[in-house]
Amino acid sequence: MIRIENLTFKYRNSKKNALENIDLSIEDGDFIGIIGKSGAGKSTLTYVINGIIPHHYQGDYYGSVKIDGDDTFDKTPSELSLKIGSVLQDIDSQMVSSVVEDEILYGLENFSIPKDEVEPRLSSSLKELGISSLRYRTIDSLSGGQKQKVAIAAILALRPKMLLLDEPTSELDPKSSVQIFQLLRDLNKKHGITIIVVEQKIMLLSEFAEKLVVMSEGKIVFNGKVRDVMKHSSELERIGINCPRVVTLSNRLIDRGVDIGKVCINLDEAEAMARGLIHG
Amino acid sequence: MKGFLDYVPGNSFLHKLNPLTKLVLSLMICVACFISENHLLLVAIILLNLAIAKAAGILPRGLMLLKGLTKISLVIFLLQLLFIRGGDILITLPLNLLITERGVAMAFVIVFRLIGATMPLALMLSITQMNDLSNVLVTKLKIPYKYAFTLTTAMRFIPIFANEMSGIIEAQASRGVELDTRNIFKKIKFVLPLCVPLLITSVKKIEGSAISAEIRGFHLRTRESCYKGYPIKKSDVGVMFFSAFLVFSAIIVSGA
Repeated sequence: MIRIENLTFKYRNSKKNALENIDLSIEDGDFIGIIGKSGAGKSTLTYVINGIIPHHYQGDYYGSVKIDGDDTFDKTPSELSLKIGSVLQDIDSQMVSSVVEDEILYGLENFSIPKDEVEPRLSSSLKELGISSLRYRTIDSLSGGQKQKVAIAAILALRPKMLLLDEPTSELDPKSSVQIFQLLRDLNKKHGITIIVVEQKIMLLSEFAEKLVVMSEGKIVFNGKVRDVMKHSSELERIGINCPRVVTLSNRLIDRGVDIGKVCINLDEAEAMARGLIHG
Repeated sequence: MKGFLDYVPGNSFLHKLNPLTKLVLSLMICVACFISENHLLLVAIILLNLAIAKAAGILPRGLMLLKGLTKISLVIFLLQLLFIRGGDILITLPLNLLITERGVAMAFVIVFRLIGATMPLALMLSITQMNDLSNVLVTKLKIPYKYAFTLTTAMRFIPIFANEMSGIIEAQASRGVELDTRNIFKKIKFVLPLCVPLLITSVKKIEGSAISAEIRGFHLRTRESCYKGYPIKKSDVGVMFFSAFLVFSAIIVSGA
């Protein structure tokens, strides 16, 4: 469980607050998407959750962030990482080894996981992500999607309760992006891992996430279930977030008094809505 | 020499050696190069380097290294030729410059040394995984992990930065910057400003790497954390004896 209370943060040598009065609760088992245009404070929010702020980046820090009751001020990012695993935006710099197997071993060795547990954890995390065949491959020879899976597998091997991902699909093609989100959904549903994902592709979030946090200029503008947030499509567009067309369409119909029941957040719902309207 | 330090997977005898043995072999080849002033021995060491590359299945990389180093050596050769004086004067040049017998001999020695001593380390890194090297430095040589990690990360980043630089150069060339000019001064003038974007991306990548290590328990690692074992086998002992023999030969030849 993550509790962020009244958090304000300003990077050293910066004039503007990167985060301002953030209040956020993330429950165990949630699948949360964080969205906002560039510079909205999304990555900074991930840094305060995994303890990189205040331990790596310093600045003016007010408020508190607690992971399962532990204040991130009192725990190092290493200690926090057993509870909350993070996958960074730049996958290439995240890799510390030249071979897939070593990349996954890295965290396990650092945390001195008992040697008889290492192999089961290594092979199961590779299997979970469907990349067992890549075990002995060099990182350089992998595609963007495969690297992303390796990065997630390396974190999963540590068996964290929560997974924090910063734009995991930023360099992926649409098919690989969907694959990554399907994988995250499986981890969330099958293993109950809390997923917090920063993402620019709203279509993916509306399809896979349960809750949405919308950020603008360091503040949380909307926070709630995806469907509830999507009701505010015109406000979202004003702060630079283009909603999926089905959302915009259904909101316009609702504004014009057409009874369609609820906002459609994906193509299947829009199709059902259209059929309903046509057939009365 | 793009990608000259990237790990090349393989199953050769040299790939299977203990990383420590590979490190010792390459260092001993370097030592032998610096001890000896004998041209024939130095040429033999260069040939040995190529034989190592062939045995490890990376002969093209060995030849690429040789070619690259030869180009660099050309400048050094010319400088040594002009500035080392001794023995008979072979050619007298304008501006009171002389090419002497000793100058020619030493220019060849220094160039052969440079090539012979640089190749083994690069070849060793091509057939050794950085993690294995770092683990061996920690477990066998008792070097603190943070220093071993720093060393191996620095080496791992060399090809990454080289790729980054070629990306920046390609981007500039596509915008019409004449980076393919034959005029070396003009080329330097165009390339120098590109160091700024390289520096920025490098710092960003290094910072990302530091964060990544930190969130995966970097500070918690101890000497006992290493999962893999690195036993010294008979083949390792054999190669270490060979390394010692090489240095011994260099001492004998240089003393003769």
